[in-house]
Amino acid sequence: MSPTPEIVFAGCNGGALTEIADYEAVGGFQALAKSRALTPDDVIAELNASNLRGRGGAFFPTGRKWSFVPKPDKIDKPHYLVINADESEPGTFKDREIMLRVPFRFLEGCLIAAHAIESKHVFIYIRGEYEAEFEVLVAALEQMHAKMLVGDVTIVVHRGAGAYICGEETALLESLEGRRGQPRTKPPFPAIAGLYASPTAVNNVESITSATTVMEIGGAEYAKLGVENSTGTRVFSLSGNVVNGGNYELPHGFPLRDLINELGGGIAGGRSLKAVIPGGSSTVILTADEANKVTLDFDSLVGAGTAIGSAAVIALDDRCCMVQLAVRVSQFYEHESCGKCTPCRVGTKWLTSILQKIEDGRGTQADMDLLVSVAERINGKCLCPLGDSDAIAVMSYFDKFRDEFQAHIDEGGCPFHGDSSLDSLLAPVAMHVHDEAVAHA
Amino acid sequence: MSDLVKVTIDDREVEVPKGTGLVETAASAGIEIPVFCYEPRLGPPVGACRMCLVEVEGLPKLQAGCTLTAQDGMVVKTAASSEKAAEGQNATLEFILVNHPLDCPVCDKGGECPLQDLTFRYGPGNTRMSFSKITLEKPIPVSPLIALDRERCILCYRCTRFSSDVAEDNQLVARNRGTHTEITTFESDPYRAPFSGNVIELCPVGALTSTQYRFEARPWDIQNVPTVCGLCSVGCNINATVREGKVKRILSRNHPEVDGGWLCDKGRFTYPHLIAEDRITEPLVRGELGLEPVGWDAALDRAETLLRSAGTRIITALSGSESVEQAYALARLLRGGLGAHAAVLPESTSDALDAFRLPLSSLAEAEIVVVVGDDDVADRAPVVDLWLKAARRNGAEIVRYGPTGTEPRGPGGAAAALRALVRKGNKLGERLRASERAILVWSGAGGGGGARLAEAAHALGFEGKSGSGAFHLPATPNGRGVAAAWASAADEDEANPEPIGLLIVSGDSAAADPAVRALAERAEHVIAITMFHGLAVGWADLVLPATSSLESDGTLLNLEGRLQRLRRAVIAPVPDELAWLSQLAGRFDVELSPHAVVVFDELAALIFGGVDGSELNGTAPLPARTPYVAPAPAAEVKPVAPARPADGHFVGELRLLRYRPLFSGPFVERVGELTFQRPPAELELSTADADRRSITTGDHVVVRSNGTSVELRARINRGLVAGVARVADEHAADLHLMVEVVKS
Amino acid sequence: MSTPGLYDEIQEIRARYPESLSAVMPALQLAQERSGGWLPEEAFREVADALDLTPAYCLSIASFYDMFRLEPVGETVIEVCTNISCGLNGAQQVVEAFESELGMKAGETTDAFTLRTVECLGGCGWATIVAVNNRHRLNVQAGDVPRIVAEIRGVEWKEPDEPDA
Repeated sequence: MSPTPEIVFAGCNGGALTEIADYEAVGGFQALAKSRALTPDDVIAELNASNLRGRGGAFFPTGRKWSFVPKPDKIDKPHYLVINADESEPGTFKDREIMLRVPFRFLEGCLIAAHAIESKHVFIYIRGEYEAEFEVLVAALEQMHAKMLVGDVTIVVHRGAGAYICGEETALLESLEGRRGQPRTKPPFPAIAGLYASPTAVNNVESITSATTVMEIGGAEYAKLGVENSTGTRVFSLSGNVVNGGNYELPHGFPLRDLINELGGGIAGGRSLKAVIPGGSSTVILTADEANKVTLDFDSLVGAGTAIGSAAVIALDDRCCMVQLAVRVSQFYEHESCGKCTPCRVGTKWLTSILQKIEDGRGTQADMDLLVSVAERINGKCLCPLGDSDAIAVMSYFDKFRDEFQAHIDEGGCPFHGDSSLDSLLAPVAMHVHDEAVAHA
Repeated sequence: MSDLVKVTIDDREVEVPKGTGLVETAASAGIEIPVFCYEPRLGPPVGACRMCLVEVEGLPKLQAGCTLTAQDGMVVKTAASSEKAAEGQNATLEFILVNHPLDCPVCDKGGECPLQDLTFRYGPGNTRMSFSKITLEKPIPVSPLIALDRERCILCYRCTRFSSDVAEDNQLVARNRGTHTEITTFESDPYRAPFSGNVIELCPVGALTSTQYRFEARPWDIQNVPTVCGLCSVGCNINATVREGKVKRILSRNHPEVDGGWLCDKGRFTYPHLIAEDRITEPLVRGELGLEPVGWDAALDRAETLLRSAGTRIITALSGSESVEQAYALARLLRGGLGAHAAVLPESTSDALDAFRLPLSSLAEAEIVVVVGDDDVADRAPVVDLWLKAARRNGAEIVRYGPTGTEPRGPGGAAAALRALVRKGNKLGERLRASERAILVWSGAGGGGGARLAEAAHALGFEGKSGSGAFHLPATPNGRGVAAAWASAADEDEANPEPIGLLIVSGDSAAADPAVRALAERAEHVIAITMFHGLAVGWADLVLPATSSLESDGTLLNLEGRLQRLRRAVIAPVPDELAWLSQLAGRFDVELSPHAVVVFDELAALIFGGVDGSELNGTAPLPARTPYVAPAPAAEVKPVAPARPADGHFVGELRLLRYRPLFSGPFVERVGELTFQRPPAELELSTADADRRSITTGDHVVVRSNGTSVELRARINRGLVAGVARVADEHAADLHLMVEVVKS
Repeated sequence: MSTPGLYDEIQEIRARYPESLSAVMPALQLAQERSGGWLPEEAFREVADALDLTPAYCLSIASFYDMFRLEPVGETVIEVCTNISCGLNGAQQVVEAFESELGMKAGETTDAFTLRTVECLGGCGWATIVAVNNRHRLNVQAGDVPRIVAEIRGVEWKEPDEPDA
């Protein structure tokens, strides 16, 4: 199905490599053996040569991240490797498939990374909803233990319990330490004072799995894939109004248009493409015109004013009301706000309320201004990116589809008249709130 | 000296030590960075409220000023000079006010509310929020002492950070997430912890209020009288809020070396004892029908008669809660005027400790702290427990020898633990010797009032180290000061009169002391100086009403050896002790001023090195160390026989460990809101002892000894040493030292 | 009353972590599993006791995360993702189908069922995702709902499909 050789999913042939013998048959654990024969610095050098960048969303060079972890003789504390497997950004579902289908390549990468940062303790923080994936990892680990592959490293798979914010690395560390998953102020950065205030590298599942391949084929070879600044392959999660949703491993630089139209089979039901969210729900939306011009790599998407984010591509067809989309996205961030900082806690809810008012046809021209003002007052004032994400995403819908917002005001209601694909979509009610007089805005 | 760095704030250049918080740096330049969640005493900043947003040159986004520290060459613009920062600040204030109710006119915090003040100064003046605010039931009890109005709460998390990061009680927590977050305790459990009241003072809005203070006063019709708490030997600095001659609340008055701005709930909430129903407001004389009120002249006549007829056959029992002036006045009258030298003094404190004097705050900087003794620190000197917790958070190693210690020891094992420590080759002892910041603490009875502690500190070479020292936690607030004042009035030795012509019982602790009560049975007559009927009725021939430390001027000597000033916050309903003591003294040709300051000057010349009383105003200083003088050695003590080991059917007796809980005593008993803080009628025992008796937590047990028995609820305390039955004094009745415990 | 074995099992969990506080989430997960899928007051007291924490602290943790339940749940918990991609592919119709099939509203609980809508379950390319007792069913359409409900009611439990991208 894929137009280029798979790297992350190599050897799967469409299936899953969950038996250790099958993984070894396709060259598994050779990268680990090779890495362990190298010094940590040489492993990091190889990663730097590959220019592998973080696949979680921040696109930070993986090798450099590891090099920030001080050498053990510089700091008298244990070093930790923490894997962020708390994949929760709406639109994103790649890490779960990596863990399901190539668990050993992922775990091999964990051991390579642990070697590189001289850590004996690996924690995999996997989102609680991924129960099958958790079980696959645990079973894979057992097989590795049986083959004495883990060595003196301990790997603990720690299950989350349903909080999007724990995908933010400092919130994840708080959660892993047994606290409420609320982001910390930075500095200090995790590389210096992360888990248990000790040097910690936090890496995404796909980054770590790709690191295995980097060590297998060599950094220079890896860097030949993809495009400048965005090397290697990427597992793109395609969803929305396409015929064939799913994960597609592609080299960076692949045209977005081709992903949707060729691999994804185009827009379902013969509808037309209206817009694309290119990198997960927190990224700036692209109109169909813009989407047709970009390629899936860091520079192209930044050039279009958005970001590659978590490489989650959501295609929206012409039935989607942009105000409804904004309501639903804002509801999500309101629901997931951790409550620590004021602008996010209060602002996301306020933003949702204004958007809902406009959608309900009760909005005025002043509400349009208020919407912009509240979004601006959230953006850049928060402790972590969550509140900003809401403001940025919503503002991009507003900026690019202002006429549609205006139509809600002018017509005193939704111009889709109940035919929008997101019509009356029910957002989750807040958990654990059973006070008789809870918020109603 | 730390390096100085230059920081430019709003075009003003200021020099501060590197690492100074930006909020403090700005303040030193006379610039305000407004804050809500920032409170350095709660630990590292969290940057939650975002009120402190500033622009920092070189950084694209606004920064939470509270999380930054001064770096050389840093250029900062606050809302005063940066539009962007001002917009950030306005944004935060607008968001904070979105759900905050406009009920300032009926809010206790109104008039002294940081949110009100900052809104007045920076706020928008109108609202753009047209949706319903979050409405919740208000107020709900956090405990009988604290009410929570969740609508007013701005979720700055100061209170929960106090609970988790300062008091470490983890009782007050945040529940839920995001906009649904609220402050709560567990289900219907009250916030039951020694320091709960501090959250009221920390709250920057009117969300957490005192149930005692609610609707009692407004900030513009009160006065805050600076004084010190007279309820334990720490002497926390307080402000007594007074309205129309009544104490309405007690607030902390931060003495950074003594209390760090924290108070225990006993100090904060017991002031209603001043208006207790059984408060004695006039002298009482035993007549045909029991105690009857009399006028002061008659009372003093009666006192004079009793004193004259007893002559030197008088014993004076002191509580240790008197001011040094009161104790000195009593001593001048009795010792100087009558030659009656016999006294029951509060637990002594060894002068040898003065060679190891330290401010309590030095605990927070310590490297190793060793605590010995049978009593919980929080029961004896509550705030010291907070200093110990701060020490541990700062990385100190805390070693606890005792019945619930990290190094378990049976009751009475403190002295032996110290002896072992100073022995050559003891590993911990060696580390204490090597450290520049090692501190010993004695929390319990015995030990010669710190004498054994001083010996150990001496043996470990602490004299020359300004960061090393020793604290003895006495049982009484001013025992040392009282003993010193009593001693200073005469040189004669104490003789034990027999028979006892007159027993003078000064203060409520002495009145409640069983040993003093036993003396009273042998005395021909008894004069009680006490505040409450409950403690006087039935045994005194003459009762003279006492005042509380909140009603007196005077001086207290705390456990550090620091003299601190008591100021009269309110006029007592009865004459001051010094007033009638000076009159009575006059009848025995003893000249005594009725004024505390004058008495203090006289006393200071005698025993406090002529210290100028005015130096004790504000936050009092700690005197310098004195050279070490070896205390009198310990008398040989026969070790207490350990509990018999278990064998077959006979599971053995347990050693009764009585303790005096923080929330006990005559003041606490007179404040209904504190009832929930008092110890339950329970018996604590170790897992091993419980297993052996098939007892689990919650079982009802009978505790028996020599014909006395008490029924209590059992609780397994996993940290308790085996062989011990731990029971609060007030539930232990007349139980003897060894008890049998069986399931009832 | 105390849950048999819970204390000891929590000690085992505790031993996995360098600092015991880290065990609070797995301990609560275990307690929830042992208490019929939710955390009654007693469960908090037991977890707190086993980890030397306070029940209040455990509550503050549990209430932060959506997967801890503070109220009883039905024997089968059905969760329908209604985030963007599922929403674009008929999630609302799936919710309504469950509502009518089960005779209850989203957010409600009976002895047999808890039905609720949830945020993104991470299966956007296979919308709509429905979690039945935490096992994900992919590509669910409103028309599939009667079969799913019948299957649940028919007692027999089949392993769910795994994603096959």
